[in-house]
Amino acid sequence: MNAKKSIQLLGNYSLLTILGFVFALPFLYTLYTSFITMRDVNTFTWITNWTVDNYKLFFTNEAYNVPKWLMNTVIMTGIVILGNLIINPMAGFALAKLDFKGKKLIYWIVVASMMVPYHMILIPVYVNVAQIGWLNTFYALTVPFLYQCLYIFMLRQFFISVPTEFIEAARLDGLTKMGAFWRIVYPLAKSSLITMSILAFAGTWNSYLIPSTLANDPEKYVLVVGLNSVKDMFFENTPLIMAGVVLSTLPILIFFFLFQRQYIEGISSSGVKG
Amino acid sequence: MAAYGNENAEMRLNNGKKQSWLRSLADSDLAVGWLFTLPFLVLWAWWFFYPFLQSFIRSFQDANFASLGDAKFIGLQNYVQILNDSEFYRAVIHSLQIVVIAVPLQTILGLIMAILVNQKLKGKGMFRTLFFIPYITSQIAITTVFMMLFKQGTFVTEFFTFFGFDNATWFADTRYALLFVAILFIFQQAGFSMIVYLSALQEVPKDLYEAGQMDGASKWAQFRYITVPYVKPITFFVVSVATILGFQIYDQIAAISRYGALGSPAGATSTVVTYFYQHGIRYMEIGYGSAAVVLFFFIIMIITFLQKKLLDDKG
Repeated sequence: MNAKKSIQLLGNYSLLTILGFVFALPFLYTLYTSFITMRDVNTFTWITNWTVDNYKLFFTNEAYNVPKWLMNTVIMTGIVILGNLIINPMAGFALAKLDFKGKKLIYWIVVASMMVPYHMILIPVYVNVAQIGWLNTFYALTVPFLYQCLYIFMLRQFFISVPTEFIEAARLDGLTKMGAFWRIVYPLAKSSLITMSILAFAGTWNSYLIPSTLANDPEKYVLVVGLNSVKDMFFENTPLIMAGVVLSTLPILIFFFLFQRQYIEGISSSGVKG
Repeated sequence: MAAYGNENAEMRLNNGKKQSWLRSLADSDLAVGWLFTLPFLVLWAWWFFYPFLQSFIRSFQDANFASLGDAKFIGLQNYVQILNDSEFYRAVIHSLQIVVIAVPLQTILGLIMAILVNQKLKGKGMFRTLFFIPYITSQIAITTVFMMLFKQGTFVTEFFTFFGFDNATWFADTRYALLFVAILFIFQQAGFSMIVYLSALQEVPKDLYEAGQMDGASKWAQFRYITVPYVKPITFFVVSVATILGFQIYDQIAAISRYGALGSPAGATSTVVTYFYQHGIRYMEIGYGSAAVVLFFFIIMIITFLQKKLLDDKG
Protein backbone atom coordinates (compact mmCIF):
# COMPACT_ATOMS: atom_id res chain seq x y z
CA MET A 1 0.00 0.00 0.00
CA ASN A 2 2.71 2.40 1.04
CA ALA A 3 4.88 1.58 -1.93
CA LYS A 4 1.92 2.04 -4.23
CA LYS A 5 1.23 5.41 -2.70
CA SER A 6 4.76 6.66 -3.11
CA ILE A 7 4.87 5.52 -6.72
CA GLN A 8 1.69 7.44 -7.28
CA LEU A 9 3.11 10.49 -5.55
CA LEU A 10 6.22 10.24 -7.69
CA GLY A 11 4.06 10.02 -10.80
CA ASN A 12 2.10 13.09 -9.79
CA TYR A 13 5.22 15.06 -9.11
CA SER A 14 6.89 14.07 -12.36
CA LEU A 15 3.83 15.05 -14.36
CA LEU A 16 3.60 18.33 -12.47
CA THR A 17 7.29 18.98 -13.00
CA ILE A 18 7.07 18.36 -16.74
CA LEU A 19 4.03 20.61 -17.10
CA GLY A 20 5.58 23.19 -14.78
CA PHE A 21 8.75 23.14 -16.86
CA VAL A 22 6.84 23.71 -20.10
CA PHE A 23 4.92 26.60 -18.56
CA ALA A 24 7.88 28.18 -16.76
CA LEU A 25 10.30 27.96 -19.67
CA PRO A 26 8.88 30.81 -21.78
CA PHE A 27 8.90 33.11 -18.75
CA LEU A 28 12.41 32.24 -17.66
CA TYR A 29 13.70 32.55 -21.22
CA THR A 30 12.04 35.95 -21.54
CA LEU A 31 13.47 37.24 -18.30
CA TYR A 32 16.96 35.90 -18.97
CA THR A 33 17.13 37.09 -22.58
CA SER A 34 15.94 40.58 -21.65
CA PHE A 35 19.14 41.07 -19.65
CA ILE A 36 21.73 39.91 -22.17
CA THR A 37 23.23 41.35 -25.32
CA MET A 38 22.32 40.20 -28.81
CA ARG A 39 25.67 38.45 -29.09
CA ASP A 40 24.80 36.16 -26.18
CA VAL A 41 21.36 35.06 -27.36
CA ASN A 42 20.90 31.29 -27.12
CA THR A 43 24.07 30.85 -25.11
CA PHE A 44 24.43 30.79 -21.39
CA THR A 45 26.19 33.73 -19.87
CA TRP A 46 26.92 34.67 -16.27
CA ILE A 47 25.20 37.46 -14.44
CA THR A 48 28.39 39.54 -14.67
CA ASN A 49 27.80 39.89 -18.42
CA TRP A 50 24.22 40.98 -17.98
CA THR A 51 23.05 44.44 -18.94
CA VAL A 52 20.03 46.70 -18.48
CA ASP A 53 20.64 48.51 -21.78
CA ASN A 54 17.64 46.80 -23.39
CA TYR A 55 15.40 48.32 -20.78
CA LYS A 56 17.11 51.70 -20.90
CA LEU A 57 16.28 52.10 -24.56
CA PHE A 58 12.57 52.10 -23.84
CA PHE A 59 12.90 55.05 -21.51
CA THR A 60 15.28 57.16 -23.60
CA ASN A 61 14.06 56.62 -27.14
CA GLU A 62 11.43 59.17 -28.19
CA ALA A 63 9.71 56.89 -30.70
CA TYR A 64 9.43 53.98 -28.31
CA ASN A 65 8.28 55.73 -25.26
CA VAL A 66 7.13 53.13 -22.77
CA PRO A 67 6.23 55.67 -20.04
CA LYS A 68 3.89 57.34 -22.52
CA TRP A 69 2.27 54.02 -23.51
CA LEU A 70 1.95 53.08 -19.88
CA MET A 71 0.21 56.38 -19.20
CA ASN A 72 -2.17 55.81 -22.12
CA THR A 73 -2.98 52.34 -20.84
CA VAL A 74 -3.56 53.60 -17.30
CA ILE A 75 -5.88 56.37 -18.51
CA MET A 76 -7.84 54.00 -20.76
CA THR A 77 -8.19 51.30 -18.11
CA GLY A 78 -8.94 53.79 -15.32
CA ILE A 79 -11.78 55.53 -17.15
CA VAL A 80 -13.31 52.25 -18.29
CA ILE A 81 -13.30 50.82 -14.76
CA LEU A 82 -14.72 54.02 -13.29
CA GLY A 83 -17.60 53.97 -15.76
CA ASN A 84 -18.26 50.30 -15.07
CA LEU A 85 -18.29 50.96 -11.32
CA ILE A 86 -21.10 53.50 -11.70
CA ILE A 87 -23.21 52.42 -14.68
CA ASN A 88 -23.30 48.64 -14.14
CA PRO A 89 -24.39 48.60 -10.47
CA MET A 90 -27.08 51.21 -11.10
CA ALA A 91 -28.58 49.16 -13.91
CA GLY A 92 -28.09 45.90 -12.00
CA PHE A 93 -29.86 47.31 -8.96
CA ALA A 94 -32.80 48.62 -11.00
CA LEU A 95 -33.21 45.21 -12.64
CA ALA A 96 -32.96 43.36 -9.32
CA LYS A 97 -34.87 45.47 -6.82
CA LEU A 98 -37.15 47.92 -8.60
CA ASP A 99 -40.44 47.17 -10.27
CA PHE A 100 -41.15 49.34 -13.28
CA LYS A 101 -42.66 49.24 -16.72
CA GLY A 102 -40.09 48.23 -19.32
CA LYS A 103 -37.88 46.29 -16.91
CA LYS A 104 -38.44 42.97 -18.68
CA LEU A 105 -37.37 44.47 -21.99
CA ILE A 106 -34.19 45.96 -20.48
CA TYR A 107 -33.32 42.64 -18.85
CA TRP A 108 -33.78 40.91 -22.17
CA ILE A 109 -31.51 43.49 -23.82
CA VAL A 110 -28.76 42.79 -21.27
CA VAL A 111 -28.94 39.02 -21.66
CA ALA A 112 -29.16 39.04 -25.45
CA SER A 113 -26.29 41.52 -25.89
CA MET A 114 -24.07 39.38 -23.66
CA MET A 115 -24.14 36.63 -26.28
CA VAL A 116 -22.95 38.78 -29.20
CA PRO A 117 -19.18 38.77 -29.86
CA TYR A 118 -17.69 42.23 -30.20
CA HIS A 119 -16.44 41.39 -33.70
CA MET A 120 -20.04 41.60 -34.82
CA ILE A 121 -20.16 45.39 -34.38
CA LEU A 122 -16.50 46.31 -34.87
CA ILE A 123 -16.80 47.65 -38.44
CA PRO A 124 -19.74 50.03 -37.76
CA VAL A 125 -18.12 51.11 -34.48
CA TYR A 126 -14.97 51.95 -36.43
CA VAL A 127 -17.02 53.89 -39.01
CA ASN A 128 -18.94 55.80 -36.33
CA VAL A 129 -15.78 56.62 -34.39
CA ALA A 130 -14.16 57.90 -37.57
CA GLN A 131 -17.20 59.95 -38.56
CA ILE A 132 -17.37 61.84 -35.28
CA GLY A 133 -13.64 62.44 -35.37
CA TRP A 134 -12.76 60.22 -32.44
CA LEU A 135 -10.07 58.08 -34.11
CA ASN A 136 -6.89 58.19 -32.03
CA THR A 137 -8.61 59.73 -29.03
CA PHE A 138 -9.31 58.42 -25.55
CA TYR A 139 -13.03 58.92 -26.23
CA ALA A 140 -12.95 56.08 -28.74
CA LEU A 141 -11.08 53.79 -26.34
CA THR A 142 -13.33 54.47 -23.36
CA VAL A 143 -16.84 55.79 -24.07
CA PRO A 144 -18.17 52.67 -25.86
CA PHE A 145 -16.84 50.48 -23.05
CA LEU A 146 -18.11 52.27 -19.95
CA TYR A 147 -20.67 49.51 -19.34
CA GLN A 148 -20.67 45.76 -19.86
CA CYS A 149 -23.76 43.60 -20.05
CA LEU A 150 -22.00 40.62 -18.46
CA TYR A 151 -21.20 42.65 -15.34
CA ILE A 152 -24.70 44.15 -15.18
CA PHE A 153 -25.96 40.57 -15.19
CA MET A 154 -23.47 39.50 -12.50
CA LEU A 155 -24.33 42.45 -10.26
CA ARG A 156 -28.05 41.87 -10.74
CA GLN A 157 -27.56 38.35 -9.40
CA PHE A 158 -25.82 39.80 -6.38
CA PHE A 159 -28.43 42.50 -5.71
CA ILE A 160 -31.22 39.91 -5.82
CA SER A 161 -29.52 38.21 -2.86
CA VAL A 162 -29.63 41.44 -0.79
CA PRO A 163 -32.72 41.27 1.48
CA THR A 164 -35.37 43.79 0.48
CA GLU A 165 -35.84 44.50 4.20
CA PHE A 166 -32.55 46.44 4.13
CA ILE A 167 -34.03 48.90 1.67
CA GLU A 168 -37.31 49.10 3.56
CA ALA A 169 -35.48 49.76 6.82
CA ALA A 170 -33.47 52.52 5.17
CA ARG A 171 -36.68 54.09 3.90
CA LEU A 172 -38.14 54.01 7.38
CA ASP A 173 -35.10 55.99 8.41
CA GLY A 174 -35.99 58.60 5.87
CA LEU A 175 -33.97 57.57 2.84
CA THR A 176 -35.51 57.30 -0.60
CA LYS A 177 -35.00 54.19 -2.71
CA MET A 178 -32.31 56.04 -4.60
CA GLY A 179 -30.65 57.06 -1.37
CA ALA A 180 -30.92 53.54 -0.02
CA PHE A 181 -29.05 52.29 -3.06
CA TRP A 182 -26.08 54.63 -2.74
CA ARG A 183 -25.83 54.60 1.05
CA ILE A 184 -26.76 51.02 1.95
CA VAL A 185 -26.83 48.63 -0.99
CA TYR A 186 -23.85 49.92 -2.99
CA PRO A 187 -21.40 49.51 -0.08
CA LEU A 188 -22.78 46.01 0.53
CA ALA A 189 -21.78 45.06 -3.01
CA LYS A 190 -18.11 45.82 -2.32
CA SER A 191 -16.76 42.34 -2.95
CA SER A 192 -18.80 41.91 -6.14
CA LEU A 193 -17.59 45.30 -7.33
CA ILE A 194 -13.98 44.37 -6.60
CA THR A 195 -14.36 41.14 -8.57
CA MET A 196 -15.90 43.05 -11.46
CA SER A 197 -13.14 45.66 -11.44
CA ILE A 198 -10.46 43.00 -11.50
CA LEU A 199 -12.01 41.19 -14.44
CA ALA A 200 -12.53 44.51 -16.26
CA PHE A 201 -8.97 45.61 -15.48
CA ALA A 202 -7.39 42.50 -16.96
CA GLY A 203 -9.69 42.54 -19.98
CA THR A 204 -9.06 46.20 -20.79
CA TRP A 205 -5.34 46.23 -20.02
CA ASN A 206 -4.67 43.25 -22.30
CA SER A 207 -7.00 44.21 -25.13
CA TYR A 208 -5.44 44.50 -28.57
CA LEU A 209 -8.19 44.24 -31.19
CA ILE A 210 -10.00 47.43 -30.15
CA PRO A 211 -7.07 49.76 -29.38
CA SER A 212 -5.19 48.67 -32.50
CA THR A 213 -8.27 49.39 -34.60
CA LEU A 214 -9.41 52.66 -33.06
CA ALA A 215 -6.07 54.22 -32.07
CA ASN A 216 -3.16 53.38 -34.37
CA ASP A 217 -1.20 56.58 -33.93
CA PRO A 218 2.02 55.83 -31.98
CA GLU A 219 1.21 58.79 -29.72
CA LYS A 220 -1.92 56.98 -28.57
CA TYR A 221 -0.53 53.43 -28.42
CA VAL A 222 -1.37 51.42 -25.37
CA LEU A 223 1.29 49.03 -24.04
CA VAL A 224 0.06 45.96 -25.90
CA VAL A 225 -0.15 47.74 -29.26
CA GLY A 226 3.22 49.37 -28.64
CA LEU A 227 4.81 46.03 -27.82
CA ASN A 228 3.51 44.54 -31.04
CA SER A 229 5.03 47.35 -33.09
CA VAL A 230 8.37 47.06 -31.29
CA LYS A 231 8.36 43.36 -32.09
CA ASP A 232 7.69 44.02 -35.79
CA MET A 233 10.32 46.77 -36.10
CA PHE A 234 13.18 45.11 -34.23
CA PHE A 235 12.36 41.50 -34.95
CA GLU A 236 16.00 40.37 -35.01
CA ASN A 237 16.77 41.99 -31.67
CA THR A 238 15.42 39.34 -29.33
CA PRO A 239 16.81 40.89 -26.10
CA LEU A 240 15.21 44.25 -26.82
CA ILE A 241 11.84 42.64 -27.58
CA MET A 242 12.00 40.53 -24.45
CA ALA A 243 12.65 43.62 -22.35
CA GLY A 244 9.55 45.10 -23.94
CA VAL A 245 7.57 41.98 -23.03
CA VAL A 246 8.73 42.24 -19.42
CA LEU A 247 7.91 45.95 -19.20
CA SER A 248 4.47 45.60 -20.73
CA THR A 249 3.39 42.58 -18.71
CA LEU A 250 4.92 43.54 -15.36
CA PRO A 251 2.05 45.82 -14.26
CA ILE A 252 -0.61 43.19 -14.90
CA LEU A 253 1.47 40.52 -13.15
CA ILE A 254 1.94 42.71 -10.07
CA PHE A 255 -1.76 43.44 -10.12
CA PHE A 256 -2.53 39.72 -10.39
CA PHE A 257 -0.36 38.82 -7.42
CA LEU A 258 -2.10 41.50 -5.33
CA PHE A 259 -5.62 40.35 -6.18
CA GLN A 260 -5.04 36.71 -7.07
CA ARG A 261 -7.62 35.31 -4.64
CA GLN A 262 -10.48 37.57 -5.72
CA TYR A 263 -9.59 37.16 -9.38
CA ILE A 264 -9.70 33.39 -9.24
CA GLU A 265 -12.92 33.46 -7.22
CA GLY A 266 -14.44 35.74 -9.85
CA ILE A 267 -13.44 33.37 -12.65
CA SER A 268 -14.70 30.25 -10.91
CA SER A 269 -17.98 31.82 -9.86
CA SER A 270 -18.63 32.95 -13.41
CA GLY A 271 -17.90 29.37 -14.44
CA VAL A 272 -20.26 27.78 -11.97
CA LYS A 273 -23.03 30.16 -12.93
CA GLY A 274 -22.52 29.60 -16.62
CA MET B 1 -45.01 48.50 16.52
CA ALA B 2 -44.85 48.45 12.77
CA ALA B 3 -47.62 50.98 12.42
CA TYR B 4 -45.90 53.26 14.87
CA GLY B 5 -42.68 53.02 12.87
CA ASN B 6 -44.47 53.95 9.70
CA GLU B 7 -46.05 57.01 11.29
CA ASN B 8 -42.67 58.07 12.45
CA ALA B 9 -41.25 57.78 8.99
CA GLU B 10 -44.13 59.72 7.54
CA MET B 11 -43.59 62.49 10.05
CA ARG B 12 -40.00 62.68 9.06
CA LEU B 13 -40.97 62.67 5.42
CA ASN B 14 -43.28 65.60 6.04
CA ASN B 15 -40.49 67.55 7.64
CA GLY B 16 -38.77 67.83 4.31
CA LYS B 17 -41.86 69.14 2.57
CA LYS B 18 -39.93 71.59 0.44
CA GLN B 19 -38.37 68.75 -1.51
CA SER B 20 -41.32 66.41 -1.34
CA TRP B 21 -41.75 66.41 -5.10
CA LEU B 22 -38.15 65.45 -5.74
CA ARG B 23 -38.26 63.02 -2.85
CA SER B 24 -41.21 61.09 -4.14
CA LEU B 25 -39.51 60.90 -7.52
CA ALA B 26 -36.36 59.51 -5.93
CA ASP B 27 -38.52 56.97 -4.15
CA SER B 28 -40.58 55.88 -7.13
CA ASP B 29 -39.72 52.58 -8.79
CA LEU B 30 -40.62 53.86 -12.21
CA ALA B 31 -38.51 57.03 -12.04
CA VAL B 32 -35.48 55.49 -10.35
CA GLY B 33 -35.74 52.38 -12.51
CA TRP B 34 -35.44 54.37 -15.72
CA LEU B 35 -32.97 56.87 -14.33
CA PHE B 36 -30.66 54.07 -13.19
CA THR B 37 -30.82 52.19 -16.47
CA LEU B 38 -30.65 55.31 -18.62
CA PRO B 39 -26.82 55.65 -18.80
CA PHE B 40 -26.59 52.00 -19.83
CA LEU B 41 -29.43 52.31 -22.35
CA VAL B 42 -27.97 55.43 -23.97
CA LEU B 43 -24.53 53.88 -24.39
CA TRP B 44 -26.02 50.58 -25.47
CA ALA B 45 -28.22 52.19 -28.13
CA TRP B 46 -25.35 54.32 -29.38
CA TRP B 47 -22.47 51.86 -29.23
CA PHE B 48 -24.17 48.50 -29.54
CA PHE B 49 -27.64 48.48 -31.00
CA TYR B 50 -27.06 51.05 -33.73
CA PRO B 51 -23.81 49.40 -34.92
CA PHE B 52 -25.48 45.99 -34.64
CA LEU B 53 -28.26 47.07 -37.02
CA GLN B 54 -25.72 48.74 -39.27
CA SER B 55 -23.79 45.49 -39.63
CA PHE B 56 -26.89 43.90 -41.13
CA ILE B 57 -27.92 46.90 -43.24
CA ARG B 58 -24.44 47.53 -44.65
CA SER B 59 -24.13 43.87 -45.57
CA PHE B 60 -26.73 44.49 -48.29
CA GLN B 61 -24.97 47.61 -49.56
CA ASP B 62 -22.13 48.35 -51.87
CA ALA B 63 -20.53 50.57 -49.25
CA ASN B 64 -16.98 51.85 -49.23
CA PHE B 65 -15.55 53.94 -46.41
CA ALA B 66 -14.57 56.79 -48.73
CA SER B 67 -18.06 57.13 -50.20
CA LEU B 68 -20.45 55.97 -47.51
CA GLY B 69 -23.00 58.61 -48.49
CA ASP B 70 -23.52 57.06 -51.91
CA ALA B 71 -23.88 53.50 -50.65
CA LYS B 72 -26.35 51.61 -52.84
CA PHE B 73 -28.40 48.59 -51.89
CA ILE B 74 -27.31 45.62 -53.94
CA GLY B 75 -29.35 42.86 -52.36
CA LEU B 76 -27.45 39.66 -51.64
CA GLN B 77 -24.56 40.42 -53.94
CA ASN B 78 -21.98 40.68 -51.13
CA TYR B 79 -23.04 37.32 -49.76
CA VAL B 80 -22.98 35.71 -53.18
CA GLN B 81 -19.50 37.07 -53.76
CA ILE B 82 -18.23 35.82 -50.39
CA LEU B 83 -19.75 32.38 -50.90
CA ASN B 84 -17.98 32.22 -54.25
CA ASP B 85 -14.64 33.22 -52.78
CA SER B 86 -12.39 30.24 -52.18
CA GLU B 87 -10.42 32.34 -49.67
CA PHE B 88 -13.51 32.47 -47.47
CA TYR B 89 -13.82 28.68 -47.37
CA ARG B 90 -10.14 28.43 -46.61
CA ALA B 91 -10.69 30.82 -43.71
CA VAL B 92 -13.66 28.82 -42.40
CA ILE B 93 -11.67 25.61 -42.57
CA HIS B 94 -8.77 27.23 -40.69
CA SER B 95 -11.15 28.45 -37.98
CA LEU B 96 -12.58 24.95 -37.65
CA GLN B 97 -9.11 23.40 -37.59
CA ILE B 98 -7.99 25.65 -34.75
CA VAL B 99 -11.11 24.80 -32.74
CA VAL B 100 -10.95 21.07 -33.45
CA ILE B 101 -7.27 20.83 -32.46
CA ALA B 102 -7.16 23.25 -29.57
CA VAL B 103 -10.47 22.88 -27.76
CA PRO B 104 -10.25 19.16 -26.83
CA LEU B 105 -6.56 19.45 -25.95
CA GLN B 106 -6.98 22.49 -23.74
CA THR B 107 -9.97 20.85 -22.03
CA ILE B 108 -8.05 17.66 -21.24
CA LEU B 109 -4.97 19.62 -20.20
CA GLY B 110 -7.09 21.86 -17.98
CA LEU B 111 -8.68 18.85 -16.28
CA ILE B 112 -5.33 17.10 -15.75
CA MET B 113 -3.80 20.24 -14.28
CA ALA B 114 -6.82 20.76 -12.04
CA ILE B 115 -6.60 17.18 -10.71
CA LEU B 116 -2.85 17.51 -10.13
CA VAL B 117 -3.05 20.78 -8.20
CA ASN B 118 -6.14 19.64 -6.29
CA GLN B 119 -4.12 17.01 -4.44
CA LYS B 120 -2.32 17.38 -1.16
CA LEU B 121 1.04 18.20 -2.64
CA LYS B 122 3.72 20.60 -1.56
CA GLY B 123 3.97 23.63 -3.82
CA LYS B 124 0.60 23.12 -5.47
CA GLY B 125 -0.23 26.81 -5.04
CA MET B 126 2.89 27.74 -6.99
CA PHE B 127 1.95 25.39 -9.85
CA ARG B 128 -1.60 26.71 -9.85
CA THR B 129 -0.32 30.26 -10.30
CA LEU B 130 2.20 29.17 -12.93
CA PHE B 131 -0.46 27.43 -15.04
CA PHE B 132 -2.82 30.35 -14.72
CA ILE B 133 -0.44 33.20 -15.56
CA PRO B 134 -0.66 32.80 -19.38
CA TYR B 135 -4.38 33.44 -19.14
CA ILE B 136 -3.92 36.85 -17.52
CA THR B 137 -1.05 37.89 -19.79
CA SER B 138 -1.83 39.63 -23.06
CA GLN B 139 -2.03 37.38 -26.10
CA ILE B 140 0.35 39.70 -27.92
CA ALA B 141 3.02 39.20 -25.24
CA ILE B 142 2.60 35.41 -25.24
CA THR B 143 2.73 35.27 -29.03
CA THR B 144 5.81 37.50 -29.07
CA VAL B 145 7.62 35.24 -26.62
CA PHE B 146 6.73 32.10 -28.58
CA MET B 147 7.89 33.73 -31.82
CA MET B 148 11.25 34.44 -30.20
CA LEU B 149 11.36 30.85 -28.92
CA PHE B 150 10.64 29.43 -32.37
CA LYS B 151 13.27 31.45 -34.22
CA GLN B 152 16.00 29.50 -36.01
CA GLY B 153 18.67 28.17 -33.72
CA THR B 154 16.90 28.40 -30.38
CA PHE B 155 16.78 25.38 -28.11
CA VAL B 156 13.09 24.93 -28.94
CA THR B 157 13.57 24.56 -32.69
CA GLU B 158 16.62 22.36 -32.02
CA PHE B 159 14.44 20.21 -29.75
CA PHE B 160 11.78 19.75 -32.41
CA THR B 161 14.37 19.08 -35.09
CA PHE B 162 15.77 16.35 -32.86
CA PHE B 163 12.33 14.74 -32.85
CA GLY B 164 12.16 14.71 -36.62
CA PHE B 165 10.39 17.95 -37.42
CA ASP B 166 11.85 20.08 -40.19
CA ASN B 167 14.14 22.80 -39.01
CA ALA B 168 11.60 25.57 -39.46
CA THR B 169 10.38 28.70 -37.80
CA TRP B 170 6.84 27.52 -37.23
CA PHE B 171 5.11 30.87 -37.34
CA ALA B 172 6.64 31.65 -40.74
CA ASP B 173 6.10 28.23 -42.29
CA THR B 174 2.78 27.57 -44.03
CA ARG B 175 2.78 23.96 -42.82
CA TYR B 176 3.11 24.74 -39.12
CA ALA B 177 1.69 28.25 -38.68
CA LEU B 178 -1.87 27.16 -37.92
CA LEU B 179 -0.62 24.58 -35.44
CA PHE B 180 1.47 27.34 -33.87
CA VAL B 181 -1.67 29.43 -33.35
CA ALA B 182 -3.49 26.42 -31.87
CA ILE B 183 -0.60 25.82 -29.44
CA LEU B 184 -0.72 29.46 -28.35
CA PHE B 185 -4.44 29.15 -27.71
CA ILE B 186 -4.00 25.95 -25.67
CA PHE B 187 -1.19 27.49 -23.64
CA GLN B 188 -3.40 30.44 -22.80
CA GLN B 189 -6.79 28.85 -22.30
CA ALA B 190 -5.82 25.72 -20.31
CA GLY B 191 -5.25 27.78 -17.15
CA PHE B 192 -8.76 29.15 -17.29
CA SER B 193 -10.20 25.65 -17.72
CA MET B 194 -8.05 24.45 -14.83
CA ILE B 195 -9.52 27.10 -12.49
CA VAL B 196 -13.08 26.28 -13.52
CA TYR B 197 -12.47 22.53 -13.13
CA LEU B 198 -10.76 23.10 -9.81
CA SER B 199 -13.84 24.76 -8.33
CA ALA B 200 -15.94 21.84 -9.58
CA LEU B 201 -13.52 19.20 -8.23
CA GLN B 202 -13.63 20.76 -4.80
CA GLU B 203 -17.33 20.04 -4.70
CA VAL B 204 -17.07 16.32 -5.47
CA PRO B 205 -18.04 14.56 -2.20
CA LYS B 206 -14.95 12.93 -0.64
CA ASP B 207 -16.88 9.84 0.46
CA LEU B 208 -17.51 8.95 -3.18
CA TYR B 209 -13.78 8.35 -3.59
CA GLU B 210 -13.57 6.59 -0.25
CA ALA B 211 -16.40 4.27 -1.28
CA GLY B 212 -14.61 3.68 -4.55
CA GLN B 213 -11.39 2.81 -2.76
CA MET B 214 -13.23 0.37 -0.45
CA ASP B 215 -14.61 -1.40 -3.49
CA GLY B 216 -11.07 -1.67 -4.81
CA ALA B 217 -11.57 0.69 -7.73
CA SER B 218 -8.32 1.74 -9.35
CA LYS B 219 -7.34 5.39 -9.66
CA TRP B 220 -8.28 5.24 -13.31
CA ALA B 221 -11.69 3.72 -12.52
CA GLN B 222 -12.30 6.41 -9.90
CA PHE B 223 -11.40 9.05 -12.44
CA ARG B 224 -13.55 7.46 -15.13
CA TYR B 225 -16.64 6.70 -13.05
CA ILE B 226 -16.60 9.40 -10.36
CA THR B 227 -14.66 12.48 -11.51
CA VAL B 228 -15.64 12.56 -15.19
CA PRO B 229 -19.42 12.25 -14.67
CA TYR B 230 -19.26 14.73 -11.82
CA VAL B 231 -17.54 17.45 -13.83
CA LYS B 232 -19.64 16.86 -16.95
CA PRO B 233 -21.76 20.02 -16.70
CA ILE B 234 -18.57 22.01 -16.15
CA THR B 235 -17.04 20.35 -19.18
CA PHE B 236 -19.90 21.72 -21.24
CA PHE B 237 -19.13 25.19 -19.97
CA VAL B 238 -15.38 24.84 -20.53
CA VAL B 239 -15.83 23.45 -24.05
CA SER B 240 -18.36 26.07 -25.14
CA VAL B 241 -16.31 28.99 -23.78
CA ALA B 242 -13.19 27.67 -25.51
CA THR B 243 -15.04 27.01 -28.76
CA ILE B 244 -16.43 30.52 -28.95
CA LEU B 245 -13.07 32.05 -28.03
CA GLY B 246 -11.35 29.76 -30.52
CA PHE B 247 -13.54 31.10 -33.31
CA GLN B 248 -12.79 34.65 -32.21
CA ILE B 249 -8.98 34.32 -32.16
CA TYR B 250 -7.43 37.45 -33.58
CA ASP B 251 -4.53 38.83 -31.50
CA GLN B 252 -2.24 35.84 -32.01
CA ILE B 253 -2.72 35.91 -35.77
CA ALA B 254 -2.29 39.69 -35.96
CA ALA B 255 0.99 39.27 -34.07
CA ILE B 256 2.45 36.60 -36.35
CA SER B 257 1.35 38.40 -39.55
CA ARG B 258 4.29 40.77 -39.43
CA TYR B 259 4.88 42.05 -42.94
CA GLY B 260 2.19 40.30 -44.88
CA ALA B 261 -1.55 40.67 -44.87
CA LEU B 262 -3.49 39.34 -41.88
CA GLY B 263 -3.35 35.57 -41.86
CA SER B 264 0.28 35.34 -42.90
CA PRO B 265 2.29 33.42 -43.90
CA ALA B 266 0.57 33.33 -47.31
CA GLY B 267 -2.90 33.03 -45.83
CA ALA B 268 -2.00 29.91 -43.86
CA THR B 269 -3.56 31.37 -40.70
CA SER B 270 -6.45 33.26 -42.25
CA THR B 271 -9.65 32.76 -40.26
CA VAL B 272 -13.20 34.04 -40.51
CA VAL B 273 -12.18 36.89 -38.21
CA THR B 274 -9.11 37.94 -40.20
CA TYR B 275 -11.19 37.60 -43.39
CA PHE B 276 -13.76 40.17 -42.28
CA TYR B 277 -11.13 42.40 -40.63
CA GLN B 278 -9.02 42.44 -43.75
CA HIS B 279 -11.95 43.42 -45.96
CA GLY B 280 -13.97 45.60 -43.60
CA ILE B 281 -11.24 47.54 -41.81
CA ARG B 282 -8.00 47.23 -43.78
CA TYR B 283 -9.52 47.54 -47.27
CA MET B 284 -12.43 49.65 -45.96
CA GLU B 285 -14.97 47.60 -47.92
CA ILE B 286 -17.64 48.26 -45.30
CA GLY B 287 -20.46 46.43 -47.08
CA TYR B 288 -18.47 43.34 -48.03
CA GLY B 289 -16.82 43.14 -44.60
CA SER B 290 -20.19 43.47 -42.88
CA ALA B 291 -21.60 40.59 -44.88
CA ALA B 292 -18.61 38.49 -43.77
CA VAL B 293 -19.29 39.50 -40.15
CA VAL B 294 -22.93 38.46 -40.42
CA LEU B 295 -21.83 35.06 -41.76
CA PHE B 296 -19.33 34.80 -38.87
CA PHE B 297 -22.15 35.53 -36.44
CA PHE B 298 -24.33 32.79 -37.95
CA ILE B 299 -21.49 30.28 -37.83
CA ILE B 300 -21.02 30.97 -34.11
CA MET B 301 -24.75 30.68 -33.47
CA ILE B 302 -25.01 27.39 -35.36
CA ILE B 303 -22.05 25.93 -33.47
CA THR B 304 -23.47 27.03 -30.11
CA PHE B 305 -26.83 25.54 -31.02
CA LEU B 306 -25.29 22.24 -32.16
CA GLN B 307 -23.22 21.96 -29.00
CA LYS B 308 -26.24 22.51 -26.82
CA LYS B 309 -28.25 19.96 -28.76
CA LEU B 310 -25.45 17.41 -28.68
CA LEU B 311 -24.96 17.68 -24.93
CA ASP B 312 -28.67 17.79 -24.17
CA ASP B 313 -29.21 14.58 -26.13
CA LYS B 314 -26.39 12.85 -24.31
CA GLY B 315 -27.31 14.06 -20.87
